[in-house]
This record gives sequence, C-alpha cells and structure tokens, in this order.
Amino acid sequence: MKVNNRFLLMSVLIFACFLLVACTSQASDSETGKKKDSLVLAIGSEPTDGFDPTTGWGRYGSPLFQSTLLTLDRNFNVQPDLAVDYSVSEDGLEWTVKIRDDVKFSDGEPLTIEDVIFTFETAKNSQSVVDLQNLKKIEKLDAQTVKFVLERPQSTFLYTLTMLGIVPKHAYSENYRENPIGSGPYKLVQWDKGQQLIVEENPYYYGKKSPFKKLTFLFLSQDAAFLAAKAGQVDIVSVPPNLAKESISGMKLIALDSVDNRGIMLPFVKPGYDAEKGIEIGHEVTSDLAIRKALNIGIDRDKLVEDVLEGFGTPAFSVADKLPWWNEETVFEDGDIEAAEQILMDAGWRKNVDGIFEKDGEKASFTLVYPASDQTRQSLAIAFKQMAKEIGIEVNTEGKSWSEIEEVMHSTPVVMGWGSHDPIEIYHLYHSKYRGQGYSNANYYSNKKVDQYMDQAIHAITPEEANEYWKKAQWDGETGFSALGDAPWVWLVNLQHLYVVNEHLNIGEQKIQPHGHGWPITEFIADWTWEE
Amino acid sequence: MNIGKFILLRTLKFAILLFAVVLFSFILVSFSPVDPIQSYLGAEMMVVSEEQKEQLAEYFGVDESKTQQFLNWLNMFLHGDLGTSLLYRQEVLSIIQERFLASFMLMAISWIISGIFGYALGVIAGMNEGSWMDRAIKSYCFILASTPAFWIGILLLIVFSMWLGLFPIGLGTPIGMLSDEVTWLDQIKHMVLPALTLSIIGVSNITLHTRQKVMDVFNTEFIRFARAKGEEGFRLFARHGLRNTLFPAISVHFASFGELFGGAILAEQVFSYPGLGQAIVQAGMNSDVPLLLGIVVFSTLFVFIGNLLADLLYYLIDVRMKNGEAI
Repeated sequence: MKVNNRFLLMSVLIFACFLLVACTSQASDSETGKKKDSLVLAIGSEPTDGFDPTTGWGRYGSPLFQSTLLTLDRNFNVQPDLAVDYSVSEDGLEWTVKIRDDVKFSDGEPLTIEDVIFTFETAKNSQSVVDLQNLKKIEKLDAQTVKFVLERPQSTFLYTLTMLGIVPKHAYSENYRENPIGSGPYKLVQWDKGQQLIVEENPYYYGKKSPFKKLTFLFLSQDAAFLAAKAGQVDIVSVPPNLAKESISGMKLIALDSVDNRGIMLPFVKPGYDAEKGIEIGHEVTSDLAIRKALNIGIDRDKLVEDVLEGFGTPAFSVADKLPWWNEETVFEDGDIEAAEQILMDAGWRKNVDGIFEKDGEKASFTLVYPASDQTRQSLAIAFKQMAKEIGIEVNTEGKSWSEIEEVMHSTPVVMGWGSHDPIEIYHLYHSKYRGQGYSNANYYSNKKVDQYMDQAIHAITPEEANEYWKKAQWDGETGFSALGDAPWVWLVNLQHLYVVNEHLNIGEQKIQPHGHGWPITEFIADWTWEE
Repeated sequence: MNIGKFILLRTLKFAILLFAVVLFSFILVSFSPVDPIQSYLGAEMMVVSEEQKEQLAEYFGVDESKTQQFLNWLNMFLHGDLGTSLLYRQEVLSIIQERFLASFMLMAISWIISGIFGYALGVIAGMNEGSWMDRAIKSYCFILASTPAFWIGILLLIVFSMWLGLFPIGLGTPIGMLSDEVTWLDQIKHMVLPALTLSIIGVSNITLHTRQKVMDVFNTEFIRFARAKGEEGFRLFARHGLRNTLFPAISVHFASFGELFGGAILAEQVFSYPGLGQAIVQAGMNSDVPLLLGIVVFSTLFVFIGNLLADLLYYLIDVRMKNGEAI
C-alpha cells in the first residue's frame, strides 16, 4: 500500500505547514509594558457608502474625520465647534454663522468659508439621507461669515448644523468617500474594506486631544466580534442582548440608555377612504379615545422591559424620552388594569361573557401588525397582546413584510420604532399636514392646537423657545399628542445599547443614544481614559 | 467538430444563459418585499422630508416601472457599463474588482486542496468498497454534505482561534496593521481557517463521485483480468483505474464552481473575510439592483468558465471527443 503511505506523509506535511504558519507570528502579538495609546473597537457596521458627510456619514455623534459647525453636548445644549457664533433673523429665514479662522484640515490646508459653502451645496444635491431641501441659497458675507437662507422657517435647521461635517473643497473628488480629509480629531490611515478601519490622530486638530493616538475599528460579524472579545483581541465590542449575559473575563458590560424606541401606532380616525391618496384609513375600535387611553394606562412597561428585553431597556412614554424637547409631565403610573377598565366603563364599554369589552355590538378587538423580520418587535407584539387581554381588549398579532405593512398601516395598528436627535421627527409624526404621506403621520392623527404649537416650534428662533412649544404640543395641561391627551400611540420601551468594554477603559458619560448603534459612542472619545 | 465551432457554440449558449439568469434575478429582486428607500433610511424616515424622499426615489430608480428599470440596466450593460452601486456609491465594476481578488485566492486554494483530498479519499473508499474505511469516509461525506458552511466555520473559529489561539479570528489581515507591514505569512495565516472551511465542505462531492467511479471501474472485466494476472493495490489502480477516474473527477470538480462560490459567500460572512460574499448579501438585503445584477453577471461568468474548462479539458485530453464521437 505505497499510495496510502505517501498520501499520509503528504497530509502530515501540509498540516505541519499550517501549524508552522500559525505559530511563527504568534509571539509578536503580545506586547506589554508600553502605555496604552491605541484601541481596537468592534462596535458598528461598516458604512457602505463611505465617510462622506454630504451623503450621511457621521450624522450622529462625531464624524471622526470631519468636524461640524456646531455640536450638542451631553445635555443637548448647543456648543460652538467650527463656528464661533451664529444668529437667526427675526423671521427665522436667515441663519448667519461665523467660523474660526485657525482651523486646518488634516492635510495642513486651512479651512475656509468656501469649504463650508461647498459642503452644504454638495450635500443639498447628494440625493441621500442628508435633507437640505429647505435651504434656498448660501451667501458669503465675508471671509469668515456665511448666511444660509431658508425657504421656510425651520428651527430644526440648527440640528443640521450639528450633524453635517465640513469637507474640503480642494480635496473633494469622487473618491472622497474612501479618502476623507477633514478637520476632525482623527485622520484615516487605512481602510481595508469589509475588514477594518485604521485611524490616527489628526496633528492639526484644534479641539481636545484624545489619549488614544490610534484606533482600529473592526467590521466583524456579531458572533466573530464576541469571540474576538473572548480571545482578548478587542477593547470594546457591541453585543446583542442575548450575548450580554455571558461574562468575559477582564471585560465589563455597559448599557447605554437610548431613544431607540418601540411603540404601537393606533389608527386615529373612523374607518374611511382617503380619496386623494387612494388609501383605506382608520379603525373603528382604535379611533375611540377610551380604547387608546386604556391601553396606555393598562400596559405594564416595566414588565415588557424585563420579559422582552431581558432588562436591557427603559419604559417609553413618548417618541423622545429624556431629550430636551420631551415633556416630563407625560410620564404616568402604568400597568393599572383597574384604571383602564374604569376608562372603558365610563365610555360605555361593557364586558361580554368572554371578558372582552363590547359597545353597541362592536367588540374591542383589533389586529396588531409587526415586521416579521424583527424578533424584538414580534415579542413585544405578543406580550402586548397578553397584557391587552387582561384589560379586556382582544388583540390578534400578525407578522408582515414592510411592503405589506405599508399597505395596511393607515388602517391597522403597527409596531413601529423611531428615535432621533432631531425634533423634526415629532413634526413629521404628529402634524396633520403629513397625514398619510408615507410613514409620516400614518395613523392620521390631527389636533389643531397641537399643529399650532408645532408650527410655533418650527418658527422659533432659539432652541429653548422651540423646546417649550414641542413640550406644549405633547401636553399643555388640556390637550396634546401624548398619552395624557389624544394618545394616538402606545409607546412601549426604549432599548438599551450594550457594549462589552475592557475593565481598564473608561468611556465616561454618554448622551442618550439615538436609533443608530455603534458609531455614536465615539462622539466623546477625547474624554476616554485608560486606567491601569 | 473543430474547436472554433465549439467555442462559438459555447459563447452563444453563454449569452442566452446570462440573459436568462439576469432576467430571473431581476424578477426575483422585483418581488422582494424590501423597499430600498425604507431600508436605506431606516429610522431616519421621520427626519427626512417628502421632497427629499422624492429625490431618493429618483436616485434608487423606483419611480420608474419595473420593465423600464430592467431595460435601462440592460441598455447600460450592453454598452459595457455595469453602473454604480446605490449603497456603496461606487462603480460596480470596481467593487467587484477589489473584492474578487480576495475571494479568488480563497476559492483557488480551497478548490485545489479539496480536489486533492477529495480524490484521494474517493479512491481509498472505492478501492476498499464495504470495508470500515469505506464506511467511515462515506459517512464523513454524507455528514459534510448536509452541514452548512457557516456552522463549520464557527466551529473552527471556536476551536482553533478561541481555545487554541492558533489562528486569528476572522479578517484577511492582522488587526491594526498597515498594509505595507503585512507579510505573506500573515495573509496565509488569515486564509487558513476560511480555506479549511471551504475545503472540508468541498471534499464530499468529489469523494462520493470518485468513489462511485472507482467502484464501477473495479467491477469491469479488464480489472478482473488484471487481478487474475496478479496485480493489486496501488499498481493495479495506477495502471488501470487512474485515467478512467481522474477525468470525471476533474470535470466534476470544475463543475463545482457554483457550490464553491456559494460556500465562499457563507465562509466570508463568518470570517469577515473581505470577498464578494459580503457585497452580494448587502446588495440583496437592500435591493441594490445594479450591484446585485453585476455580481450575478460575474458569478455566472465564473461558473460558466468552470464548466467550459471542464469540457475543454475533456475535448483536449479524450481522443474520442476530438473525433466527434461523443459530443
């Protein structure tokens, strides 16, 4: 049997080669003794369309390579960054911004007002998530000052100024997305697509320097990222809730609160037909205020957090919990089934033999639709169904694809999720002029008073003034779109974003996190420290 | 039949095949429940105005009818342009170029390894039909044939990377190392587990096929005659079995390019290996039609070339085919 021997010999040889390859460079991996000035992060997915702010890069938190005119601090107060000052005209149409004159891009070239104008013009035409449709024109006033003229007043333009990183006119080309040059704290050194991003500190950065000179972002699948953390190769990794309970030696779990919320949108009007849009709208049962209020007060949100999110979440009472434009009065004691029943009794509903409320022969029953691809939303829907049953409201759950949901969402309750750092979201969700426009106000909510408050918020000059009106739109003591008022939604929970972090790494305080996961936590990286 | 005619016929066949595959892929993607704008915007849906959404509809081409969209693509394709990926905002061709190289190395290595090992195992099993070795190899193949590649991948990761620490966890290059510092040794090290995953899966097909062929050959008259002359073992196989079984094996192995491609996509996902796999998954999940169709065209070409090579090899090696007896 000569062949078998030779074959055996060959396989042994090949295997030996593998081992040799594996062992030789193993030794160089461990380096100790030096002060830790680099980090390896596996926190988010790779931005497929690259690092160009004009097509949406860095909208939340820091764009890393670029910097923005203004920023929001941890408490969402506006702070200057590239800008030294800004002002808004009385009619809210003209925004004048003055910029610093000492800022350089990472290639050493100075950042000028031309770059600012170029950035906004490029972004306006980008056909991307960056929405500058309301920007009419940009005028250069002097070497340091620019004037943005809007079509209509928009107090939330402020948030655009905090999100759009400035790109250099002289170094902008088709390939900018792969070779970003900016005035941010880091510069790109190497991007191995689909694998990792290596960045180093930008020597020209004008802001606070991070103690970490080099960062490596890994784009690993969720399982591989977790294995890498277990093998001690990464300093910070984002994890899904089902892995969060598994402990890794030398690492700690950090759960960050967010406005990444989930709630149920209830059709607000009586069944009908919107001839203009050509869609079936409304629902007999959920158009009754008593039903919507009873659901809001009867649902036990803490229990949902515990059962569905395994404790990694917070109860949600609005679309913008804990943000500056959130009205704190809208929080209430929930899980109160007796109160829910009382509300329904007062409105003329009576329980039938099955324990389900009825009124004029109509059963308190509806179908709740959730996107079938989303396991969390499915679990929430099922838990909601059980809780509603305890009140005496029958809910049937049904999973559908998004395109199917789009067809029924105007006439059927749906599990949705939003959560943005821009209050324009509230405007689109609750203003009557957006009724039936795609996902905006899909449940046909309308309240003249609320519209009026929100219009005032949009026309406001300062963010403080705008926030007052956003709050009033939620609840002014008599009416509003929160559960205290018209209750067109049952907000359920805010998810927590979970990270497993090296014990020595201190990432400090974070903002309330937005819907997006991962990149936002790099925003305050200048304040991160390594403690031996 | 001369070789020119052969190639002409094949090219024609390929053109028809390509059109059918592209059309079918487009129809499938059209029925996909994914709304590209919704998938692109996600939770930003509420922040973006209706005017901007109209701009996006134009960008994603969804404001045109499906037929028109397909014709637009076809027109572009016939002019040699694969278009620009909607998600990556980059030319489809350049995405394919930069990603295929990594995939290609991976596939080539595992194709060769699985070919050698698969054939050897098949011969051993076939020659010892019914023995414990045959049974062991056969069950090994059946188990593998029904094992998903990503599962094997994760298993290998846990054993070799996490427990033994021999190999890196995913990626095609060391963490945080600049490309000019990366040695070929590093690259091989990163390729071992993904290639091993692909090879392990690829072995079963060729082993089972070879085993059958060897068994067929060993049941023929001329083998019985050779045995009667006293030949046995490897000598018997080398003289009378090798040529009869090697060509079918090679042809089967070339024809397995399709499975290789599919396996690579899964393995790349698990190992975060920078190949075409990631791109095609992204394209499919987000209805990025130009990218998806671009990769479909490319992979069709790839699989077709595999089959063509198999046929050509037959044509060149087997005298009977040159004489036009068996086509």
